[in-house]
Formats: sequence, C-alpha cells, structure tokens
Amino acid sequence: MATHQQDENIRVLIADDDEYILRAYREAFADSESTQEIRALDALAAELFEPTDSDDDEPHFDVVACSQGDDAIALAEQAANDGHPFDVIILDVRMPPGIDGVEAGCQIRKLDPDVEIVFVTGFSDVPLEELQRRVPPPMKLHYFNKPLSFSQLAQDVASMVREH
Amino acid sequence: MSSKQTNRSLQNKISLRLALALAVFTIGVFLILRSVITPAFQELELEAAHSDLIRAQQAIRTDIDNLVAITLDWGPWDDMYEYVAGRNPGFVRSNLDRSTLSNLGLDMLVIYELGGRLKWAQLQVDGEERAVEELGLLGSDNPAAQLLTQHADATSSTVGIVDTAYGPMMISSQPILRNDSSGPVAGALIMAQFLNETRLERLQERTEVDMTWMLVEEYVIDGERELADIPVGELPVRISDGLVTNCVVLADILGNPYLLVSSRTPRVISGLGQQTVGAAMLFLVAAGVLTVVMLWYFMKGTIIGPIEALTGHMDKIRKSGDLSDKLNLASTDEIGLLAARYDKLNSEVHETRAALLQQSFKAGKADTAAEVLHNIRNAMTPMINGLERVAKAFKVTDGLHVKQAVEELSNPDVDPEKAKKFVQYLDASFDRIVAVHAEASDDLRVVSSQAHQVEGIMADQEKFTNVAPVSENLVVDEVIEEAAQVIPKDASAGIDVEVAEELANYRVRAHRIGLLQVLSNLILNAYESIERAKHGDGRISLSARSTVIDDTEMVQLTVRDNGTGFEEEVRNKVFQRGFTSKGVGDTKGLGLHWCANAVAGMGGRIFADSEGEGHGAEFHVLLPAAQGG
Repeated sequence: MATHQQDENIRVLIADDDEYILRAYREAFADSESTQEIRALDALAAELFEPTDSDDDEPHFDVVACSQGDDAIALAEQAANDGHPFDVIILDVRMPPGIDGVEAGCQIRKLDPDVEIVFVTGFSDVPLEELQRRVPPPMKLHYFNKPLSFSQLAQDVASMVREH
Repeated sequence: MSSKQTNRSLQNKISLRLALALAVFTIGVFLILRSVITPAFQELELEAAHSDLIRAQQAIRTDIDNLVAITLDWGPWDDMYEYVAGRNPGFVRSNLDRSTLSNLGLDMLVIYELGGRLKWAQLQVDGEERAVEELGLLGSDNPAAQLLTQHADATSSTVGIVDTAYGPMMISSQPILRNDSSGPVAGALIMAQFLNETRLERLQERTEVDMTWMLVEEYVIDGERELADIPVGELPVRISDGLVTNCVVLADILGNPYLLVSSRTPRVISGLGQQTVGAAMLFLVAAGVLTVVMLWYFMKGTIIGPIEALTGHMDKIRKSGDLSDKLNLASTDEIGLLAARYDKLNSEVHETRAALLQQSFKAGKADTAAEVLHNIRNAMTPMINGLERVAKAFKVTDGLHVKQAVEELSNPDVDPEKAKKFVQYLDASFDRIVAVHAEASDDLRVVSSQAHQVEGIMADQEKFTNVAPVSENLVVDEVIEEAAQVIPKDASAGIDVEVAEELANYRVRAHRIGLLQVLSNLILNAYESIERAKHGDGRISLSARSTVIDDTEMVQLTVRDNGTGFEEEVRNKVFQRGFTSKGVGDTKGLGLHWCANAVAGMGGRIFADSEGEGHGAEFHVLLPAAQGG
C-alpha cells in the first residue's frame, strides 16, 4: 500500500467537460495568490497581536485538469510512466462526446491499481454496484453527486490520501 | 387501388367465371342432346316411316292374297269344270249373275276355256258394266294375256298387278280343275280388283297410313328419270320439312316396274324429339341458372360479404385508429376464423401499442428527467461553490484585527516603529478585503451565469411541454379501469368504486397517457378526500355522458366522491397553481393545476362542483368525442 508524506502535495487529476466546474475545482484545490497574502498578513498579525492558530495542517494539492475521458487516461498513463502517479483522480461520469467517466475509470484502474478514483456526477445511468464491479476495489472507489462543495471534497480527498 | 374496387373485382371475377361455367354447361348440354337424342328420334322416325311403307305394301299384298283365295276357292270346282267343258250350260244361270261381282268384292270375273277362248266375262268400272275388251288386257297383243288365260297344269297360277285401260288392277288367274284339284286343266278363272280411289281410301283407313300410288311411267315423267333407272323394290327415302316419304316399286305380272306405292309419314316423332330436346334444354339451363344464382348468393353470403365486412372494418380502423374496435363476425367457417384471428391480433396490437406508448412515455420522461437533473446539477455546482466562496469572502474581516490596530494607533504612547507596522497591517488588511471582494464579484458573475444556464434548461423543457402529444380514439372504460388502479390495494376494500356500465359505449379523442394521468389524479384526490372525511363509507362513482358544446360532440367524464367536498368560493380556485385546500384534497396544489393544463392540451376542459364541505365533490372532464369510431 502506498503511503503519502505529510509535506508532499497531493497530486490530483480532474476530468469534467464543464469549464465552470473545472474552474471551481481549481479554486477549491489550488493554492491561490490571495492565500499567500493572507499568510503574510497572518504573520504580521502574529507579531503585533496575540498568537492565533496556524493553518499548517491545511492540505496542498497539485491539480491537473482535463475535459475528456481519453485525456484523463493519457495523463494518468503519462504520470505513472514518469514515476509520479496521481494520488486521486476525479472523474465526471458524463463527458460527451468522448468516452464516459466510468469507461475512463475502468481503463485507469488497469494502469494504476492504487489510485483513488472519485466519480462525481449530476446523474448517472450506471448503478453503484456496476461501478464497483467495473472499477474495483470498492475501498478505492468513491462516488459523489453534484451539486457539492468542492472545498469539502478537497478535505475528503485529503482524508482519502491520508488514510491510505 | 381501393379495397372497394378490389372487392368489386373479386365479385366480377366470380360472376364472370360462373357465367362462363353456365355458358359451357349450356353449350355442352345442347351438343349432347343434338348429337345423341335428336339422331335417336330421327332414327325412330325413319323406322316408323318405313314401317308405314311395309304396312301399305302388305295391305296390297293381303288384298291380292284374298283375291287368290277366292280364285282358288272357285277354280277347283266340278260345276265350273263341266261348264267350261260344255257339259253344264246351267252353270251361269245358277251361279253367275249381276250380284256375283259385288258379293265377292270383285271388279272383274272372267272364265276362259282351254285354248284361250273367252267363255264368260263380267267387268264393272265405277259401278257400270263394261266389256272386258275395253281393258286392253286380254287381247292377243298384250304379253300378259297368255299368262292369264292359259295354264299348263294344275299348279299353274298367275297373280299380281296388271295395267289396264282403267288403271292398275290386282289380278289372280287360276286353272279350272276338278273339286279335288285334279286335272286336266279345263280353262282359266280370272278374278280382279281395281286399285282405284275407293280401294285406296279403304286401304288408308285399314292401315292408317297416308299411302298413295302412281304408275312408274307417271313417276318417270314427273321426275324426269329414265325408266331403266327405276328398279323394283324400295327407293331411297325422301325427307322434307314435315314429311318422310318412303316408296316401293311393285312389278306387274311380267316382272316389269309398274306401280310406285308411297307412304307419307308426318315428322311427328322428330318434332316430338325437338320438343323433348327443347324441354330438356330449358330444364337443364334453368337448373344451371338456378345453381349458378344459388352458388353466387352462397359465395356472396359466405365469402364476398364477410370479406367486404372485414375490409370495411379495416378501413374503419385505418380512419379511426381505434384498434380496440372488434369486428365480431358471426361465422365459424374459415373466413370467420380469419376475422376472429384478425380481431385477436388487433386486440394484441392495441394492448402492445398502449403498453409501448406508456413505456416509451415513461422512458421518455425518465430520460428527460435524467438529462435535466444532470444539466441542472452541473450548473448548480459552480453556483454552490461560488456562493460558498462569496460567503467566505464576507467573513474575511472576522480574522482581521483592524479595530485593535486602529485603537493601538490612537494611543499617543505607541512606539513609532510599532505604529508603522500597525499602519502596514491596516494597509494589508484593506488590500485583503479589496481582493476578497474582487474574487467575490467574479464568483457572483459565475453564479449569475450558471443561474442563466438553469433558466435556459427550463426554457428548453418548456419548449418540450408545448409539443402536443399524439391523440387517439380511446374507449373510456378501459382508461378509467386502469386509472382506478391508483387506489391503494389495502384501502380499496373500504371504498366502493362504482364504474357505470355505459362507459364502454363512449370513446374520446385524447392522449392516452395524459388522460390516464388526469383520471388517476382525480381518483386519487377523491380517495384522499374520503380518507380525510373519515366516515367509513367511502364511495367513488365514475360515469360518462354525451353532450354538445359549440356544435362539437363531447364526452363528459365525471369522478364523484362522498369525501370532504368544498365551499362555493373555492370552486373557481381549485385548479389554480399552488392552490391547496384541505377540503379539495390536492395537498401539494400541483396535481389539479397540471390536470387542467393537460385536459386543455387535449382540446377539453375541466371543472369541479360541490354542495359544500362534507357533501363530497364532482370533477368533470370534457373531451372531444372520438370521430369515425
């Protein structure tokens, strides 16, 4: 079982055909410039005022995004070949016009048996039992319905990685 | 080609073949009768005609035979023998007088002595006595005279017909002998009768044959024939339109052709044959016509009629589209079986179509719902995350110490270096607030954009709702029975559902699934209203009646319950969107509004009645009556 070092960024691949959703993913998972400014501000506050709780435990992500299932398979394969496989791959189920997320997850699972695969969809025609059958094992398969809070999802993703 | 023309063609084909069969039958019968029956009658007629000739000929021979018998009776007679020998002079006085000829039926009696000398003679022509010499028969110049007047021995005899100046005569000449017919021959006894008109009439009367005779010489002259060409014996038969004429040529005593005897037979038998053939033809043709007509009516009744009924029913279904309509042909033969199977097939297609329609409707709704869910959830995801960040942005000041920094700066004893850092902190804090608000503004734009996307999805759905569903002819009772299944099974025992029998007589033009959902909604409302009334005697009655509104034939379906009912002021509000009333039973305020829209979409309307709370309610659905069904 792979383990993840606390000081390393969590590598996340996200595939969704909706650009607004991809943007929301990035904003929820990526370290933004404003966050660094807040840290500088917090440092100044620590000097001038009473000490406050540190956010050092907040997870950090390296996010790669794409909009098609085929791209996700290619990126996962590339990362595995480079020796830096993704920790978590988040897939939308419906991504027209290419293959759907379930098929993409099925092929990615063959490439990387350890990666955590998360399905996020507005509506799926595929029952959960079939998903578990096609993309085993069940403990590395996760399923979320849209709409959902991506910041909460980011916390869940971090938990997945830490638990394993 | 229309089915009617096809039927006509079938009728024409059958009629043509029957007519052809009748014509062949008639011609066949005619030829058989002509080739068998008519010749048989003709043969029979010729035999009868020949028989007449035989009888005529035989009658003359019989007269001659009678003449011979008399001559043979008188010839062997001692008294005459002695007279001819000159030894009995009183013979004439005793035996021959004026009445002798008439008594014996003779026209001539002549007695010759041996050697050909005339001894005694008497001749009567038409009742008058004439000299024998006038006959021109017994003169020495006539070759027949010697045969008649002289006999060589006792067995000599001359019998036959001879020609005389007064016409043909039957004659018999026998030798005069002793009583015991012994000789020597003393002379010749000649007896004769004329073949005149009187004798002809007698013969005709006796034989009942239309016979006549004429001299061959006259026949030759009339017929322009040579005498040598006329043989003794029968001549070829002559057939004319009304008569069959048979002729026979009789020879005179010299053996020469002399007398032509004819028999004329009316063609009664062939006439009878023609009548028989005609009657048989008439009978057989009548029987053939009768058979053909009966066959035609039988085929019309058992084949063409049912096929027309079947075709008409198919046309009716094609026009109305109502597959539930049955032909119910009352026949057990092959066509009846075909019609029954057609009905069964239609019924199965009807059920399959209804099931398919319902299934496809449900599948369509499911697909649509899935697509809408997917799109809306996708659109809502950036909205939620955007709003989350906006909410977080508004809390940005919670983590800042702006108020505390301002208070420190307002302290005149603050260290200038520290005051400088407080100012830096305040600048950074404001920059942070501005930055967060700028991000919040971007997020709100995204939220706004996604909200517009949701609105677009709903606008698309609205377009689909404007697509009119396919209407069909529906039998009311089938839809209502299916709709009544909406009542929960465990509750139906306590609620009496009355379905009026006449519902089966009504057909409406509507969208099956839509009507099914409307009725299900109304029945479910009635059930819930009864449940709320809690009187334990629930009753739902379903009925229908015809009505005409604005010259349009409509069917009014009524769902009546004895539930809670509603007051007059509520009546016009029950179908409003969002309206809900405890008394009306639409707990969400959506079902009746949807029903009203659905019924309006089917070209009908819906209205409700109640005599007030506690008195139950009636919901009426008006729909166009089915056309052509």
